[in-house]
Amino acid sequence: MTEKWTNRILLLVALALAALYLFPLYWMYVTSLKTGSEIFATPPGMVPTNPQWGVFAYVWELRGMGRFLWNSAIIASGTMALTAILGTGCAYVLARYRNIWIDVALFLVLMLQVLPASLMITPLFVGFSQFGLLNHPQLAVILAVTAKVMPFFVVLVRATFMSVPGELEEAALVDGNSRIGAFWFIVLPLARNGILVSAILIFMQAFGEFVYSKSIIQAVELQPASVGLNAFMGPNTTEWNNIMAYATIYVTPILAIFVILQRRIVSGLTSGALK
Amino acid sequence: MSAEKQIELVGINKHYGSFHALKDINLTIPKGQFVALVGPSGCGKSTLLRSLAGLESISGGTMKIGGEVMNDVPPRKRDVAMVFQSYALYPHMTVEQNLTYSLRLKRVSKEEMKRATEEVAKTIGLSQLLHRYPRELSGGQRQRVAMGRAIIRHPKAFLFDEPLSNLDAALRVHMRKEIRALHDRLGATSVYVTHDQIEAMTMADHVVVMRDGVIEQQGSPLELYDRPATKFVAGFIGSPAMNFLPATIGPDGRSVHLDADGLGNLFIKGVQDPGRKVIVGLRPEHLEVGPISTAAITLPIGVVESTGSVTYLTGSGDVDLTVVVTGRSDIRPGAHVGLSIAPERVHVFDAETGQAL
Repeated sequence: MTEKWTNRILLLVALALAALYLFPLYWMYVTSLKTGSEIFATPPGMVPTNPQWGVFAYVWELRGMGRFLWNSAIIASGTMALTAILGTGCAYVLARYRNIWIDVALFLVLMLQVLPASLMITPLFVGFSQFGLLNHPQLAVILAVTAKVMPFFVVLVRATFMSVPGELEEAALVDGNSRIGAFWFIVLPLARNGILVSAILIFMQAFGEFVYSKSIIQAVELQPASVGLNAFMGPNTTEWNNIMAYATIYVTPILAIFVILQRRIVSGLTSGALK
Repeated sequence: MSAEKQIELVGINKHYGSFHALKDINLTIPKGQFVALVGPSGCGKSTLLRSLAGLESISGGTMKIGGEVMNDVPPRKRDVAMVFQSYALYPHMTVEQNLTYSLRLKRVSKEEMKRATEEVAKTIGLSQLLHRYPRELSGGQRQRVAMGRAIIRHPKAFLFDEPLSNLDAALRVHMRKEIRALHDRLGATSVYVTHDQIEAMTMADHVVVMRDGVIEQQGSPLELYDRPATKFVAGFIGSPAMNFLPATIGPDGRSVHLDADGLGNLFIKGVQDPGRKVIVGLRPEHLEVGPISTAAITLPIGVVESTGSVTYLTGSGDVDLTVVVTGRSDIRPGAHVGLSIAPERVHVFDAETGQAL
C-alpha cells in the first residue's frame, strides 16, 4: 500500500517537473499561432482561439529561412564529420592504453569541456584572423565548434570502446589481422552504434550553435539559423508570433529526429555494443 | 623422443616495469606434443602463452616456433592459433564467418573456404549452427566455435588459454576428452594453460608447473605425481592435496620423527643426515588405515566426509592431516585410527628450501 502511494507521488512529481521543463516549448508553439492582440492579453490564453497557420510560410519567406537552415546544416554536418573522424581515433587510444600520460590527456580533454565558448571566442577570433581563416567563416566556425564538442564526443565514444573486449582484438591479431585491420574490421563495427549516436548528438548541438557563429560570421548569407533568429529579435520587438514561428521552424526538425531516434540514442548511450 | 622441435624457448625473460614476470624460462616442445602450463594465478603461465602468440613482447631470450626465431614477429605472421578463455568470438559475425575469418584474411578461394568450413563444422559438430550468431549459442557451442576457428587454420601450434573455465563441471570433463581426442586426430602441437591441475594431469603429455615466473618442474604427469621436485609441486599436483608435516630425521637416518604430538615415527626411503629438519609429504590416498597397535601414526578423527565412492577423514585439533579411504567407512568423528604408509611413498623435503631430498 505505502509503496504504491510512493510510486504514485513520485510519478506525479516527475510529471510536474516534465510539464515545467517542457512549458517553454509549448509556449513557443502556442505563441506562434496567436494573433498580435492575443499575445498580450491578460490573463494569457493557454490555447489560441484563432490559430494563424499562415505565419510559418510568411516568416519563411520574410526572413529567407531556407538559406539560414542550409547554413546551419552545413556547419552541423561539417562539425559532426570532423568530430567523428578525429574523435574516434582519439577515443580509441584513450580507451585502450592505460598509463599516466593517458590520464593526463583525459584530464586535459575534460578541462576543455569546462571552458565556456564566450570565453574562448576572443583568443580563437584573434588566432583565426591571423591564419586568415576569417575569410572562410563557416570553416572557422566548424573548427571552433569541433574543438568545443570534441571532449563530449571523446568521453562518450571512449566508453563505447571500453565495452569492446580487448580479447576480440587479440583474437583478430592471432587470426592474421594487422593492428589497423583489427581496429577497422572488428572494433569499429562493434562500436558503431555508440559512435553514430554520439555523432547525432554532436549534430544537434552544432545545429543550435550560436556564440561562435555570431562572432565569426559577419556575412548574413553565410549565417546559420541561430544567428538569424537573434537578428530577428530587436530591442523593441513586438512580433513575438513571427519570432516564435521562426523558432518553431528551426527547432521542430531537430525535435523530430530526436523523438524518432530516441530509443536508439538512449540504448546506444547506456548499453555496450555487445551481447 | 627424437621428434622435430616445434616450439623452443631458451632463457625467456619478461619484465613489466620493475615486475619480473617470467624468469629464465627454458622449454622445448616436440611436434605433436600436448603441453600443459599449470600454476596458481599470477604465476606467469598466461604471460608465457601470450608471448608465444605474440600478444606480449619478451624482454630477453630466444623464442622459436617451427624452427624460426619469433621474438619480434607480429602475431599474424606466427602461424599459431589461440583459443581464449572468453572464446573471443566476433559478435557481429555468424559462426561461419567466425570460422572463416582467418581464411578470408589469407584470401583463400571461395571453394576451398567452403570445403574447409564443412570439414571443420563436421569435426566439431556445428554443421547445423553455421548461420547463427555467437549470442544465440550456448556456452558449450561457443567453446566449439572457438576451437573450430583455431582448427580451420592448420597452424603450427594451438595455444589454449584456460578454455574450459567458463563451462559447468560436467561439460568441462566432456570437453577435456574432446580436446585431447582432437589434438591426437590432428597431430597438432598444443600448449594449454590451466590453473586446474586435474585438467593438466588428464590431458597433457608434458606438464610444466610454474610459480612466480619460474618453472618449478616439468615432466610427464605421473613423473610429477611420483617424484615432485619441490614441496610446491607436491602440494599442487594431486587431489586432495598432499599432507605436509614438520619432522626431524631420526638418529639412524632412515626414519623421521613427526614433530606434532602423538604422531610417531615413519620409515623413509634412502638415508638422510640425522637431526635434519624436514617436511614430510604424505599423499592422502597413500595412507592406509589399520589397527593402532601396528600403526606408525595415531590420528584423532575430526571430520568424516563421504562422496559415496571415497571417504575423506580429516584429523582433529592441530594435526592437519587428510586420509582418503576407498568406499564407505564406519569411522566416526572422535575415533582414533592407526595410519601406516610404505617408506617409498614418504616424500621428504628440506624444511627451508622446500627441495625434495
